[in-house]
Amino acid sequence: MLEYVIRRLIYMLITIFAVASILFVVFRLLPGEATLQVISPAMDDAVQDRMKAAFGLDKPLWQQYFIYLKNLVSLEWGRSFVSAQRVIDILQYRFWNTLLLMASGMCMTLVLGIGFGIIMAWKRNSSIDIGGTIAGLVFQAAPPFVTGLLLLMILSYRLGLFPTGGMYPAGQRPDGVLALLMMPAFWERIVLPTITVGLYYITTPMLIMRDNMLEVLGSDYIELAKAKGLKPSVVMFKHAARNALLGVVTLASIMVGFAIGGQVVVESLFSWPGMGQLMVESAASHDYPVAQGTFLMLAILVIGLNFLTDVWYCYLDPRIKISSTGLA
Amino acid sequence: MSQSPRLEVRNLSVRYQTRGGEVHAVNQVSFDVFPNEVFGIAGESGCGKSTLIRALMRLLPENGVSDADLIQYEGQSLDRMSEKKFREQVLWSKIALVPQSAMNSLNPVYRVGDQIIEAIRNHTSQEKHEARSRVEELFDVVGLESDLMDSYPHEFSGGMRQRAMIAMSLALDPGLIIMDEPTTGLDVLVQERILRRIREIRSHIASSIILITHDIAVIAEMSDRIAVMYGGRIMEQAQSEDLFDTPCHPYTLGLKNAFPSIQKLGQELVSIPGSPPSLLGKQTGCPFEARCPFSIDQCVTEIPKIESLGKNHEVFCFRNTDAPQMREQATSMSTWHSSN
Repeated sequence: MLEYVIRRLIYMLITIFAVASILFVVFRLLPGEATLQVISPAMDDAVQDRMKAAFGLDKPLWQQYFIYLKNLVSLEWGRSFVSAQRVIDILQYRFWNTLLLMASGMCMTLVLGIGFGIIMAWKRNSSIDIGGTIAGLVFQAAPPFVTGLLLLMILSYRLGLFPTGGMYPAGQRPDGVLALLMMPAFWERIVLPTITVGLYYITTPMLIMRDNMLEVLGSDYIELAKAKGLKPSVVMFKHAARNALLGVVTLASIMVGFAIGGQVVVESLFSWPGMGQLMVESAASHDYPVAQGTFLMLAILVIGLNFLTDVWYCYLDPRIKISSTGLA
Repeated sequence: MSQSPRLEVRNLSVRYQTRGGEVHAVNQVSFDVFPNEVFGIAGESGCGKSTLIRALMRLLPENGVSDADLIQYEGQSLDRMSEKKFREQVLWSKIALVPQSAMNSLNPVYRVGDQIIEAIRNHTSQEKHEARSRVEELFDVVGLESDLMDSYPHEFSGGMRQRAMIAMSLALDPGLIIMDEPTTGLDVLVQERILRRIREIRSHIASSIILITHDIAVIAEMSDRIAVMYGGRIMEQAQSEDLFDTPCHPYTLGLKNAFPSIQKLGQELVSIPGSPPSLLGKQTGCPFEARCPFSIDQCVTEIPKIESLGKNHEVFCFRNTDAPQMREQATSMSTWHSSN
């Protein structure tokens, strides 16, 4: 187990390094001179050169690459072109906001999706099964900006049950994540974006879980579990669900990547000050250091969550350990 | 046999509802299993033997319906028992199963020992450590190292899994163990070892065994009494030696021919031409009629009755009185291959 975790950890670092390198290339391939935002062509040539030298832009590309890597590791991610704040400070604040929303959305997706999937398989061909499939397909077909807008329109504007956006009431910015989590106003505001994200992604784990369950329920070890005289609920949850879960966990790590895309839309819609919103803002204002930092941070987030699902998978399926040592 | 039977089954039938219609997988099957005996059920694939035991253990798929005049375990009626009571008081504690595919019958994500402990603790109030020491005992009985308890099924070979399954079936000292093809899928050497182990265990325990297999050699070696199934019915039922010395049903005669004899080495085996019947729809005659070289007109239109030939020997054939002649003719290849 430990060996497996360490190997995964090394893979994770290699992947992050690759993403960072790709980002370096991409941002230098972008059309238009990135430095235009800061170094105006109207300035004197000598001044322009001096400024370029101050940013290290006079050095050859490979040297810039190593400086870039060194800065990444030492968390010197540059300053925003717009606000002159350190990128790492901006990201630190935004990272938690995104993580909170993603975590609650993914929890809702997985818990409800897996739960409904089990029930649908158990009550196969019943109205729950058919209704669940139809509802799932409807949610899947409705883009998050439509679901989100409908939720806002009905629950916020018409019924006034939830605030319309933001993470906390204006002018009450909490200092730190803990203080944020203590605010009732925060929990009021996270409900709608969570539902929006959750509903959009719930279909895949739900239907996969249902299909996996049906497949597992036909297997010999389930028949034996029944022959042992175990209660139907024990057969379902202890014996069938654990095996059916394996496919969903694999899927969860892929889903996390997709969820980042949805995150951009949902954060914009609910004025959620997370990295998705930051990505849109920084791209619109050509704030390259921030955009670069955001991309990298999101990549690290996805890769990190993938790592966690790999470890979870290993815990769920003892067969993995053997094959992982076999590969070494 | 003067003892009262441990399991009595009278006129058990199982039907499957399928898109193509109703499949009569088991028809009017009656048999008894006496204490401490091995009752063999022989038959080729699709003859209904697995369906029969699924019906006994209430493990039929949703489209399967069984009904019987009587199913009794030690005088207690099982067919009218509630689902819950059956699960708690009969399954595994009285009737245990060694399933057809031991390879896949252990849950891959739990330790082998824990799966046996689960069976024990589901039916008793034993503490975990008591159940553990019981598993150690059982592993010893089937010849597995006790430290293998904490291994996962994928770390076991086929033979080891089969032993673990046998250990599991013994866990609660059930009165009846149903072994469904316990050696199928194992190589011949492992097969032999498992059979020897079953024979050894038999002498220590009080359980009766229903042994289901298509392997005539295995059944001949292991069983006290044998029922031969074909097309969802029992064709012939007798003491082992009677069945092989004086078979009366044409199907049994054919089976006996197809089974190599060590005394008559070099003799060509005679197979029964044709293939098993479709069990779709209601039967109007004897299911073996189409392949039977001795069939008469009555076999097509009428379902035979089970005739007792004395000494617990029963046969499902109109021509049971002609058995000696049929036995004579059945040994020649021409009898079987000219009939159609």
